[in-house]
Amino acid sequence: MSAPPTLLSSSIRVFDFSFGQMLWSRRSVFLGLLVGAPVILAAVVRILSATGWLPVVNGARVGGPALFGVLMWLLFVRFVVPVLGVFYGTALMADEVDDKTITYLFTRPVPRASVLLGKYLAYLACVVLMLLPSVVIIYFLIVPVGGSIGQAFPILAADLGMLAVGVAAYGAVFAFVGAWLKRPLIVGLVFAFGWEQTVLLIPGYLKRLTVAYYLQALVPHAMPQDSALSTLLLVFQDLPPVAVSLACLAGIIVLSLWLAGRAVENREYVLEQ
Amino acid sequence: MTDAVIAAEHVSKWYGQVIGLNDVMLKVQPGITGLLGPNGAGKSTLMKLVTGQLKPSKGVVTVLGEPIWHNPPIFRRIGFCPEQDAFYERMTGLEWVTALVSLNGVGDAAARDMAARALETVGLTDVSGKRIAAYSKGMRQRVKLAQALAHDPELLILDEPLSGMDPLVRRKIIRLIKEWGRSGKSVLVSSHILHEIESMTPDIVLINQGRILAEGNVHQIRDLIDEHPHTVYVKADDTRELARRFLTDDHVLSLRFEEGAIVVQTGRPDAFYSRLTELAASGELGTIHEVTSPDDNLQAVFQYLVKS
Repeated sequence: MSAPPTLLSSSIRVFDFSFGQMLWSRRSVFLGLLVGAPVILAAVVRILSATGWLPVVNGARVGGPALFGVLMWLLFVRFVVPVLGVFYGTALMADEVDDKTITYLFTRPVPRASVLLGKYLAYLACVVLMLLPSVVIIYFLIVPVGGSIGQAFPILAADLGMLAVGVAAYGAVFAFVGAWLKRPLIVGLVFAFGWEQTVLLIPGYLKRLTVAYYLQALVPHAMPQDSALSTLLLVFQDLPPVAVSLACLAGIIVLSLWLAGRAVENREYVLEQ
Repeated sequence: MTDAVIAAEHVSKWYGQVIGLNDVMLKVQPGITGLLGPNGAGKSTLMKLVTGQLKPSKGVVTVLGEPIWHNPPIFRRIGFCPEQDAFYERMTGLEWVTALVSLNGVGDAAARDMAARALETVGLTDVSGKRIAAYSKGMRQRVKLAQALAHDPELLILDEPLSGMDPLVRRKIIRLIKEWGRSGKSVLVSSHILHEIESMTPDIVLINQGRILAEGNVHQIRDLIDEHPHTVYVKADDTRELARRFLTDDHVLSLRFEEGAIVVQTGRPDAFYSRLTELAASGELGTIHEVTSPDDNLQAVFQYLVKS
C-alpha cells in the first residue's frame, strides 16, 4: 500500500480538480463582470481622450498615470480585492457543503485541511488569472493618455504584486471566516466594508487589525486628494514600512490558513447538509 | 469470532436536544452486513459516524481496528458510497472517479486505470467520457459506487446503493456486492427496503429510533423474539384433524384454515415444531406436504421488532 498523501501533495490534488470547477463556476461570471467593468471604463476614457477630453479629479484635469493610480486605490484596493476575497474565500468550504460533495473529499485518505488549502490555491490561481490581465489592459488603455508606458511600468509591476498579495491576504482571512462560521458571507461583508473602512479612519492601533492597513503601504501611488475625508485620512496617515507590511500580510495569510485548517479538521460539516 | 470490522462502543450522537443515536453497542463482523431501518431510524447518523464524518457525542467508533474520527489514512482501506445524489456535474464520469482516486495517493496514470476498471465493473465504460450531468439516476448511482470501489478497499460502506436503479442493473449490482463479500472483503450496506438487503445477505443489523434493535443472522434474530407470535403455514391431507390436535396445545395462540392448509400462530415455535414433527411421524394425519413460516422473511422480523 502506498504511503498516505502529505498535506502538500493532497492540496495539489485538490487544487487540480478544484481549479477547473472554480474557473467555470457561476461565481466566475461575477468575477468577470467585476474585473471587466473597469476595462470598459478604461476603454471609454481612451476613446474620449482622442477628442482632447481629460478626466477631472478634485477639479483638476489628470493624466493617464494619475487616473490609473486612482483606479488602483479606489476601485481595486478598496473594493474589488476585498469583494473577491469575501465572495470566493467564504465559499471555499461552503460550496462543497451546499453541493453535498464534501463527503467525497472527507472520506479520502487526505488531511481535511488539504481540502481547504487546495481550494484556496485554486481561488488564488483563478482570481489572479482574471484580475491581473484586466489591470494590465487598463494600464495600456489609460496610461498613454498624457503619460508614458515605459516610465510608469515599474509602478504597474508593483501594482500587480500588491494586488496578488491583497487577493492572497483577503482570501485567507475569509477562508478562515468561511471555515469557522455558519453565515460567513454577512460577517465577511461587515468585516470588509464595515470594520475595515471604519477603523482606518480612527487614529490609534485598531487599524492594525485590518488587512487594508498593511495593503495600503504597498500601493505605489499617492492617495488621491478627493475630499475632506481624504484630507482627514492624510492627517492620520500612518503607513508601516513596506517590509513590515509584507511581513504582517504574510503572517495574516499563514495564521488565517492555519486557523481555517484547524476549523475544517474539527467541524462536522455534514450537520449543515 | 474474528475481529469486528466496525465496532461502536456505547456510542451516542445528539443534535442539540435531539438524539440521533442512543448508547449504541455494535460489532459488524467481516462479510456482508445489512443495516436496516425505516427513514429517520438513525441509519444515516450511524453511517456518518462509521465514515468519520461525524464525531460521536459519547463513545468510540472503530473501523478496521482503528478509531475513525480524525484518522484520514484509514480511508485507504475503506470505500464509501454516500446516499446523496451530489456530483461535480461538469466532470465526466472518468474524470470524476480519477480525481477522487488520485486523492488516495496514486499517480495520475494509475488513478485513471483504476477509475476505468471501476467504471467497467459497474457497467459504465460506454458513458465514461460523458458529463455526469447527462447521466440517468441509475448511472449516477453506479458512478458513485465506482468511486467507492476503485481503490480496491477492504471495507465498502454503501448507503442506499440501489436507490434509483432499474431491476436489471439492481440485480447486477447485488451480484457485484455479493462477489465482493465472497472475495474476503467486507461490506456494510444500508437500506430501508428489506428485500434488497435480504437478497444480499442474511446478516443484518436492525435499527430504529436511534437504537440497535437486533443484530446477527436473520434466523437468530427471529429466535430473539420468541415472545412474538410466530406464524406457520402447514399444508396437509387432513387439516381438520390437524387443527383439532393443535387446539389442545397451550402454545398455539390462533389458527385459521386456508385452502388445503392451516395457518397457526404460536407463542413457542420450538414446542410447536416438536409437536408437528411428532404428529407427522405418527402418520395418523396423512401426509404433511409443506411447512413454511412466513415469519422467516426479513419483513416480518422487522415489523415485529419495530412494533415492539
